[in-house]
Amino acid sequence: MNKLDLNNLKNEGVENVPMQERRDFLKMGLAITGIFAGGTILSAVSTFNTANAADFAKKYPYSPHYSMVMHQDRCIDCERCMAACVATNHVPNVPGAYRTTILEKDTPDAVGGKREFIPVLCNQCNLPQCTRVCPTKATYKDQTTGIVLMNIKKCIGCLTCQEGCPYNARYFNEEKKAVDKCNFCWDTRLSKGEKDTACAHACPAGVRIFGDLSKQDDPVFKTVHQIEKAVWVLRPEAGTRPNVFYTKG
Amino acid sequence: MTIRLITTVTALLALVTGLASAASYPEAPIVFDKPVTGVIFSHKVHMDKGLSCEMCHNRLFEMQAKKAQGNADFVMESLYQGKYCGACHNGSLAFAANTRCATCHIGVKGAKRLSDGGTQEETHEH
Ligand code: HEC
Ligand code: HEC
Ligand code: HEC
Repeated sequence: MNKLDLNNLKNEGVENVPMQERRDFLKMGLAITGIFAGGTILSAVSTFNTANAADFAKKYPYSPHYSMVMHQDRCIDCERCMAACVATNHVPNVPGAYRTTILEKDTPDAVGGKREFIPVLCNQCNLPQCTRVCPTKATYKDQTTGIVLMNIKKCIGCLTCQEGCPYNARYFNEEKKAVDKCNFCWDTRLSKGEKDTACAHACPAGVRIFGDLSKQDDPVFKTVHQIEKAVWVLRPEAGTRPNVFYTKG
Repeated sequence: MTIRLITTVTALLALVTGLASAASYPEAPIVFDKPVTGVIFSHKVHMDKGLSCEMCHNRLFEMQAKKAQGNADFVMESLYQGKYCGACHNGSLAFAANTRCATCHIGVKGAKRLSDGGTQEETHEH
């Protein structure tokens, strides 16, 4: 993935954002303020006002509409999230196998510090490429929660989904003989009544906030829709409508 | 009398050499790994800012690498209260400890790079 630095990037302008993309974000109560890094980052601010609040909370099609927002500048790469994920979801200890990881980018001249750490995981996209290209429907979008799930019995290991994923969020699990990916800890935590993912739970720095975008009083909803605060998504050009947001502060 | 003078001179010399060796600080950065992995402290960077040894080595830190991380209170909350690094990293003497997280925190990746041989945090490529 390209290096990312929202502070020092040149805004390539809203006019370069496709009309459909702009409409999609507006529906979510977010006005696009620009794209950066050759279109790999799209930033937006909330158009939220209490008058139409109830109206657009409905625009999140799932219930609960699980989502994560990352307070990116708080990430210290302690990697407790990764360790918790591995332990919870039995991710094998081999190179390239992860459900979530931390990217690093140098920012030697930035006021904010010399480096930035960027946590990444499956974006549980509203319009996922992976499910569209899977020939056996082994990967699919859960109708209720919107989580992108795997039915490993159907997976033939063709890795087409891996190529289709703009977030590098899938790996082949030799033990399962199937592709494995982040499912927001659906089987290991959420379906058992836990309220958050293992990674969010383990984060000591308040980076990963997990929640439900269909509820207005949810911390994730509130952060994403804070007035005048920029939030952004990664790889908007893929047009997949990700459900993982990033912000600072 | 002469003998006393010589003794004094020797004592003084010993003191001076003692000071000289005390004034050498470790070149390589110290990387804390508890409670979290990868917090960097570089003597060189701090000495270049014109700080004296005493500013840190009277009550803030002992002259022993990774001593402080044995204390249960070596956490951000203490820094915010002005302890340890927070004595200076309070927003007036130096950037505040609740800002620029990834300046002190080089993380698991940064710590690994340093232990894999690079002496300079800057030597890695991207
Ligand atoms: C800005 C604060 C600061 C200043 C100034 C400073 N030090 Fe340190 N020094 C530290 C810290 C922090 C440690 C690690 C202590 C710990 O881990 O508990 C340390 C550790 C040391 C150690 C132990 C190294 C080891 O490998 O065990 C020595 C020796 C030392 N300092 C010498 C000096 C000398 C000599 C000076 C002045 C030339 C100096 N320091 C100035 C903060 C400082
Ligand atoms: C005696 C005061 C003092 C103490 C104690 C102190 N620092 Fe600093 N530190 C400074 C000053 C002054 C600067 C440079 C000014 C600035 O950047 O705001 C600095 C800069 C830094 C930088 C930036 C280095 C760079 O390359 O730009 C780091 C990282 C840092 N300190 C880490 C620490 C850590 C970790 C501790 C505690 C183990 C600590 N400091 C304790 C005074 C101090
Ligand atoms: C001036 C240097 C400095 C800065 C800036 C700094 N830290 Fe720390 N941090 C430390 C030191 C020193 C420790 C204790 C040593 C260790 O854990 O390796 C620590 C430990 C931690 C820990 C584990 C202990 C605890 O408090 O729970 C967390 C989490 C943490 N820092 C988060 C952050 C976040 C988030 C930021 C930015 C908002 C930040 N730090 C900025 C120096 C710093």
